[in-house]
Amino acid sequence: MIDYAIDLCIIGLSVGMVYALVALGISLIFSGLDIVHFAHGEIYMIGAFIGLMLFQKLALPYVPTLLLAVILTGFVGVFIERVFYRRLTRAGGGYTVAGMGMVIVGFGMSIVLQNVAFLIWGPKPFPFPVPFGRPIELGNLALPMSYVWIVVTALTLMAALHLVLRKTMIGLAIRAVAHNKDIAYLSGVNVPLMISTIFGIACALGAAAGVLIAPINYVQVQMGVGILIKAFAAAVVGGFGSLPGAVLGGLLVGVVESLGAGFISGTYKDIYAFVLLIVVLMVKPSGILGVAAKVKA
Amino acid sequence: MTADSAPLPIAAGVRARLAQVHPIVPWLLVLLALLPLPLVLPNAYTQYVVNVMAINVILAVGLNIVKGFAGQVTVGHIALMAIGAYASAVLSTKLGLPFWAAMPAAMLVAAAAGAMVGIPSLRLEGAYLALATLGLAESVRIFISGTEWLGAAIGFEGIPPPYLGPWALDSHYAYYYVAMPLALLGLYFSFSILRSDIGRAFKSIREDALAAAASGVNVPKYKVIAFVISALYAGCAGSLQAHMAPGFLHPNNYTITEMITLLLMVVFGGIGHIWGGVIGAILVTIIDDLTRDYYEYRMMMFGAVIVLVVIFMPRGLGGIIDDFLVRRRFNVLRGARQTPRTDVHAA
Repeated sequence: MIDYAIDLCIIGLSVGMVYALVALGISLIFSGLDIVHFAHGEIYMIGAFIGLMLFQKLALPYVPTLLLAVILTGFVGVFIERVFYRRLTRAGGGYTVAGMGMVIVGFGMSIVLQNVAFLIWGPKPFPFPVPFGRPIELGNLALPMSYVWIVVTALTLMAALHLVLRKTMIGLAIRAVAHNKDIAYLSGVNVPLMISTIFGIACALGAAAGVLIAPINYVQVQMGVGILIKAFAAAVVGGFGSLPGAVLGGLLVGVVESLGAGFISGTYKDIYAFVLLIVVLMVKPSGILGVAAKVKA
Repeated sequence: MTADSAPLPIAAGVRARLAQVHPIVPWLLVLLALLPLPLVLPNAYTQYVVNVMAINVILAVGLNIVKGFAGQVTVGHIALMAIGAYASAVLSTKLGLPFWAAMPAAMLVAAAAGAMVGIPSLRLEGAYLALATLGLAESVRIFISGTEWLGAAIGFEGIPPPYLGPWALDSHYAYYYVAMPLALLGLYFSFSILRSDIGRAFKSIREDALAAAASGVNVPKYKVIAFVISALYAGCAGSLQAHMAPGFLHPNNYTITEMITLLLMVVFGGIGHIWGGVIGAILVTIIDDLTRDYYEYRMMMFGAVIVLVVIFMPRGLGGIIDDFLVRRRFNVLRGARQTPRTDVHAA
């Protein structure tokens, strides 16, 4: 019983790392641009497909595949932001009518990306077979290497993001933009470029999540729909716009979902994240690590 | 601002005459005009499409109330329709209620669900509300497709058609006389709501919730009312869908794809513009039917149209119609005042 619970927790934590990566991207976009990106699940899906293409067609090893997919998807994100979202964010983001437009555009974009991917790759789920080697034995638990890979890579990416945001000039500029665009502009920060950078980084994180989960799940066109709600749940549970909150929320959602599927019922696996989301929204809408005042990044 | 303009671009003389009669008279005339429609339709399939159109009009008008009037960003409206449809199906098959009792009951069930969606809206705004409603919509669909007694992923079948005395309204032609009057009734009520104090409260919340509260509008109350009213519409549409001829429901009828289609009707027609929403619903239903063979391209096109409409035409078709009406009225006024100078600004 305890072993089973620990097993579920470990699986939940490693899947939660993937949710956390997607949630980090969503949270980053929210804190930087004041918009919620509803097409982020599709970015994750496209990242996974780009990874699959690199891995199968070019026969690259896993690590270069991951890096290249992350970079390429980052540029896809910058492209989408420049061409489509820029017109709306220029008019002012936030919760108002412009925000409603952004929600609707994100929704439309998600369906467009999904169907573009459908036209290219078809409805079939693709396996992503990576030879990771034998599972690690921990007492009487067998931990597959793919989970270890997820945890290690995700932690590395999070640490890298933290260092970039806290220790570099670009990170400082991004935080300035997140805090106040006008004052950042007056201080000489190239705000439009930083917004594109934020979008690129967020999409790159989504792609990393997609490539990481691919060896466990299949790669398919529909994979972005479910993760969107879970990542949103993670971002909101941790506190929207707070990056440590996104990580914490992701892990929490992963564990809750895994325990719920193991102990209650696997049929409704996809609902637990939403129940958690609703409970947190009812009890403390600002999330666990969120603060009422608008201090972000 | 947008929605409460004149009903239809009819000649001024006719409008003056209509103003003297009871406001429901034009609606009755429209009802009479629409009654013989099945006679001119070529086949039962076209009739089916027209019935779907009526259902979509109800749905779009309902969504417009919460989204356009009250300004609440909800993307889970399709779940309320699913709740209405399944409630109606369960009530009529398991409890044996007739359609005429099952439909109001299903509307009440959907309204209760709508109130439950509305309560988070008291604390959530904009994007948060969109997330919560999206999550609710997906949860409802997953719950239905995982629950045996709702037909799970196989679908719910054997829903009886409505009976009028001894006659079963099981053909698409007969069903038209259930769906079309209900659509007109819904449309009529939405105008009444918009004109009433409730409608004004909705609009004040949309423009500025804080200012509305300061002016004495009970913001939480009216937000929930907006959700409940739009859920009543969705429940009605769902019930109509459940009892339509094949009498079959499937959870895949309530996916994000359907939500996008519904969103397109309202966005394309113009958020907050009733007639725009109606035109959007009719146009999207027609396009949806014509492009049935190109499934994958269709959804891509719908998504692209949503993106482009929001970016380039944020007020939708309704905005264009309004602009046209205002410009024409302006030109008429200017023409009347400046008759000697028509040579300068004749256009």
